[in-house]
Amino acid sequence: MGSLLEAKGICKYFGGLKAVEDVSMHINKGDVFGIIGPNGAGKTTFFNICSGIYTPTKGEILLNGDKISHLKSEQIAQRGMARTFQNIQLFKYMTVLENVKIGFHIHTKTKLWDSVLHTKTFKEDEEFTVQKGLEIIDKVGLSKYTDTMAGNLAYGIQRKVEIARALALDPQILLLDEPAAGMNPQETQELMEFIKILNADGYTIAVIEHDMKFVMNSCNRILVLNFGQKICEGTPDDVKSNQQVQEAYFGKGIIAGEAVK
Amino acid sequence: MKNIIQKCKEIYIKNKIIIVVLAAIITLVLPVLVPKSYFMGIMCRILMYATLAGSLNVINGYSGQMCIGQAGFFCIGAYCEAILATRFGINFWIIIPLAGLVTAIVGLGISLPTLKMKGIYLSIVTLGFSEIVRLTALNWESVTGGPMGIKGIPTPNLFGFEISNSKTYYFIFLAIAILFIFVTKRVVKSRIGRAWLAIREDQLAAKSLGVEVPKYKAFNFMYGAFWAGVVGAVYAPYVRFIDSTFFTLDEGFNILSMVIIGGQGTLVGPVCGSVIVNLLTEVLRPIGEWRMVAYAILIIVMMWWRPQGLVGASDSILAGDKGNGKKLEKSKQKGGGAHGVSVRS
Amino acid sequence: MEYLFNQIINGLCQGSIYALMAVGYSVVVGVVGMVTFTHGEVIMIGAFAAFYIFQAFGNNLLLGLIASFSASWLIGMFVYKVCYERFFNAPRHISLICTIGVSMLIKNLAQIIFGPNQKPMLNVIENKFFALGTIQISLVQVIIIITVVVLAILLSLFINKTRWGISLRAVSQDKSASYLMGINVKRTAMIGNCVGCGFGGVAGMLLAIYYQTLSATMGSSLGMKAFSSSVLGGLTDIRCSALGGLCIGIIENLGITITSASFRDVFAFGFLILILIIKPEGFASKKGVRP
Repeated sequence: MGSLLEAKGICKYFGGLKAVEDVSMHINKGDVFGIIGPNGAGKTTFFNICSGIYTPTKGEILLNGDKISHLKSEQIAQRGMARTFQNIQLFKYMTVLENVKIGFHIHTKTKLWDSVLHTKTFKEDEEFTVQKGLEIIDKVGLSKYTDTMAGNLAYGIQRKVEIARALALDPQILLLDEPAAGMNPQETQELMEFIKILNADGYTIAVIEHDMKFVMNSCNRILVLNFGQKICEGTPDDVKSNQQVQEAYFGKGIIAGEAVK
Repeated sequence: MKNIIQKCKEIYIKNKIIIVVLAAIITLVLPVLVPKSYFMGIMCRILMYATLAGSLNVINGYSGQMCIGQAGFFCIGAYCEAILATRFGINFWIIIPLAGLVTAIVGLGISLPTLKMKGIYLSIVTLGFSEIVRLTALNWESVTGGPMGIKGIPTPNLFGFEISNSKTYYFIFLAIAILFIFVTKRVVKSRIGRAWLAIREDQLAAKSLGVEVPKYKAFNFMYGAFWAGVVGAVYAPYVRFIDSTFFTLDEGFNILSMVIIGGQGTLVGPVCGSVIVNLLTEVLRPIGEWRMVAYAILIIVMMWWRPQGLVGASDSILAGDKGNGKKLEKSKQKGGGAHGVSVRS
Repeated sequence: MEYLFNQIINGLCQGSIYALMAVGYSVVVGVVGMVTFTHGEVIMIGAFAAFYIFQAFGNNLLLGLIASFSASWLIGMFVYKVCYERFFNAPRHISLICTIGVSMLIKNLAQIIFGPNQKPMLNVIENKFFALGTIQISLVQVIIIITVVVLAILLSLFINKTRWGISLRAVSQDKSASYLMGINVKRTAMIGNCVGCGFGGVAGMLLAIYYQTLSATMGSSLGMKAFSSSVLGGLTDIRCSALGGLCIGIIENLGITITSASFRDVFAFGFLILILIIKPEGFASKKGVRP
């Protein structure tokens, strides 16, 4: 059970704004790791640092012990980190299958000559992407939408397509940014079960979520951020009983204290 | 309009073999049926511009970069062939790929420093590049002949058979156009083409999926430039004489307007655009100077009515919210989507 | 050395005209939020309007100024209606290509109407020289610089002090927020666009006076220069754009002292590309304001 993803003293400043300050954490292999915190706590910024969209002002990110915080996001993706976005970034004008096919980019190696001459590599690659793509779509439960334009799908389904696309990378760790946003309770429930299945399949998952029930039920470890700083990291029970977390969510004072009880 | 295109597609798919064979026979027999050199000249122009517009379409339509200075690449290809053929007497058939390669390398040179630029800045740089190429050709007298141009470019030979008139040239242009479409079709349908499309539709997502955006953008630019260079190399011996006035900004706009009118993001689009614009040029020849006015109005009307072009990829980010019947709220908020997407929450 | 100083003076004068074009360009881009290719043609129209006014009513500089401003204003309205109004929410390249179309349209119409050849500009300002030591400054140059400075002050007063100026600034920062604040965004954007075009037109007149010629095809390279100057200044920042215009003018004139005058445009474009590569945000340090 070595730690798969590790952050050491990450800081990210935008001008004078300290979006993330001195956050350290580690995600073990096989974890479902939750990141929670009030709005503007720096959760998504933290994700963006992990996936290489931002470079941290200070600190470093280690994936499997290798420093990745200086790499570009495509290099990080090639090393086995896939992510979804808070405001869905699907290829809206492509079908679901095409979306997933692009996810196989790093696992195929067709060169210009291969594609022009239709060599063996090309044929193998195409077969591989289509077959595996359909498999993944089936696994996510989107078989009936295979040839639908992604932009025309309902919000909740788009989120699933995004997850399917990320799965195509066959990642070591999957970062989900608010996967349940815009879903109804039924869909959220399904998503929760799906994440459990994925975890059982051996994927390590990190998830940002606002839905407390979701996080408390599906995550085995949780990081709490507030105003860019880490206030707690631990199991759901640790987090529930943590004084600072309660203050961050409910405020201080008698009434807040009552509310917790 | 959409229905007509849909129907055309259906008919094509149903009778694919018959149509292809028929088209092949027509194109091959055409010089025999209508041997007039005037007509053949028009056909040569159409085929040439179809390839040129196609090469620009690879850059603009498939990876969503906004290049305007395709005339610059065209110019480099043409001068390459002219100089190599007149000074060093190198065989035409060797020069073609050579000119393509030189142009591709120049394309790489333009692309590398501009990778981070967003749409409009890139187009300005390519525009400036095209002007710089033209002005260099105009002023670098020792190499390009300056305003006098290069005269007496030797005509190519094929198995001892001299290719000198437009009737024989038709076949060369035809071969180049078919080769271009064939190769491009295969590239676009492969992993490389998928990466280009991904970049066009959403760069951030493409990156997060491990697509090396800079590499593919640069490669895309090189690919487009390569074909423009090849066409330039074929064009030079066809006209026998080149000077910098062939490659003005208007020429670049001309190529661009074919792509726009025909439609970006499809292989048929530029061909359609080339046919329409060149036939229009011939039809409008009597009105002389009003021709460009008609062009301009055509471009504006096209943007108002069908921003994705006549047979362009209507299901793409290129079409905007007018092209796709359903307005996607998100893309509207962001003013188009691909550019300037903010990732902070 | 003398020659060099004279070239710097020439560059300063030319640069001040470029600055005026660039300021116009910045206003257009800032308010409309889209880049345009029509600015060169707008400049050309301004020059021709002044030319015909001078021909008809004699050498009255003020009259010419008003004529070129209003002619460009009208062209600006046309450009706005055709290229921008419908496309605020569409992908940017659509309006960009539209401006290319309009630019082609105006240029070719102008060639038909005004004739394709270069015309000599009337001698509006007396050909007098002042000597400052060994350096010579012509009356034309002095008047041009004064005009540019006065116009720049007027513009900054307009933008900073009047109600219209405030709504212009609001629109250029955030269209939907200004809409919610009750500003008529479309009209404001149109007026901003027209003001920018008007400045371009005046710059066109000054250029025609300075070079003593004008032609229907003068627009394309001038438009590029306006764009270069304004990119150099960060595209939407008016003051920095003016500075950028001065820079480009001086660099051009120094550049042609080293080589021949036929490379003038190569310097301008080469410098633009260099700037875009090295420091794409230009002189302005604000980030995230570029369209």
